[in-house]
Amino acid sequence: MLKRGKKDENDSPSDTNLTMSERITPSTPKPSAAQGKTIIGENIAIEGSIRGEENLVIEGSLKGNIQMEKHNFTVGSRGRVDGEIRAQNVSISGELKGNITALGKVEITKDADFYGEIKAKSISVEDGAYFKGMIELDREPHRKSSEVVKPASPSGLETVKAPTSKPFDAKKET
Amino acid sequence: MVNAVLHQHNDSETESSPVSYTSEILELFITSLQRRRDPQILDVGPVCEENIRFFAQQLKRLYVCDMFRRLDRELRADREPAGVWVHLDYAPSIFDGIQLWDFCDHLDDTQVKRLAELCHTMLKPEALLMLTAFEERTRVLPLNAFVTQTDYQINFRHQAHLKLPWHCRHNRALMSSLAGFNHIKSFQYRNGLREFLFKKYN
Repeated sequence: MLKRGKKDENDSPSDTNLTMSERITPSTPKPSAAQGKTIIGENIAIEGSIRGEENLVIEGSLKGNIQMEKHNFTVGSRGRVDGEIRAQNVSISGELKGNITALGKVEITKDADFYGEIKAKSISVEDGAYFKGMIELDREPHRKSSEVVKPASPSGLETVKAPTSKPFDAKKET
Repeated sequence: MVNAVLHQHNDSETESSPVSYTSEILELFITSLQRRRDPQILDVGPVCEENIRFFAQQLKRLYVCDMFRRLDRELRADREPAGVWVHLDYAPSIFDGIQLWDFCDHLDDTQVKRLAELCHTMLKPEALLMLTAFEERTRVLPLNAFVTQTDYQINFRHQAHLKLPWHCRHNRALMSSLAGFNHIKSFQYRNGLREFLFKKYN
């Protein structure tokens, strides 16, 4: 079941255009305190694509694509999503299998399990997340070097001296 | 001859981080890859936001596969560590570089050889493989994430959710495990870290 915030009470049905076949579980949905966003509860399973003009939170399961370039998409800690995501910002605390295109930021918390590709302006990832994917960020210019990789000398390991109590700039031992 | 000494971490051990350092090998690794066209790199983890940002800004495409986390899950479930290799199911000759960090330190000799085989398959000809290893005298933490900062400075961060065994290997053992690669350069640091850069044969 979709839970909508007060802000949406006067919205037309087309504001959140859902094309989906819903399989609603018998559990009674919990009341939502959300405003300006739609929450799909943890006992809801959806198959189908979703286009939206407001923020969306998935706590249930969704198999389908999300398209909401001007709004934020969140997979809650109990949420499971299998599909392509296009949104302004994306936050993942549950499971997401699929590719993300975010105009803004992608946030992956320590409870997340992500598998897919991410194209975004920026990304934050907490230690501990399950993460298997490809990342392409908007890149800043980087400096080029003229160094060339050559095979090692027969002597093998080079020793670099470093202080033991603070950061250092390594120097080759002569 | 390949030989490793297994150390199980004792939670009662006094924990202190080794000092941060500036990685010569990482700079060589990155600058070499930047000269390639649309380079693709694989980072096997641990998942670390700073590293993701660093690599993704430096190179065209960054692949991350959190092998540390997945190995930890296999071991906690009393499953064979070999089960973790299903996650390195990438196409052959797809990467220009693979960053292993100290993943080899958490594998026995058999698994290190398997990892080397997989890396060899996943790397393009003349692609680069970077790895790090701790010396026994300095290994006091159960596990550190290598946290890359600007100018190739590397700090450490303890990742408490990971509890992995540690296998101490001498340089010769590491070289032997990666005999399928050309050894390009190695550095040894006062903080007890050793870094290695290898290149895949043509």
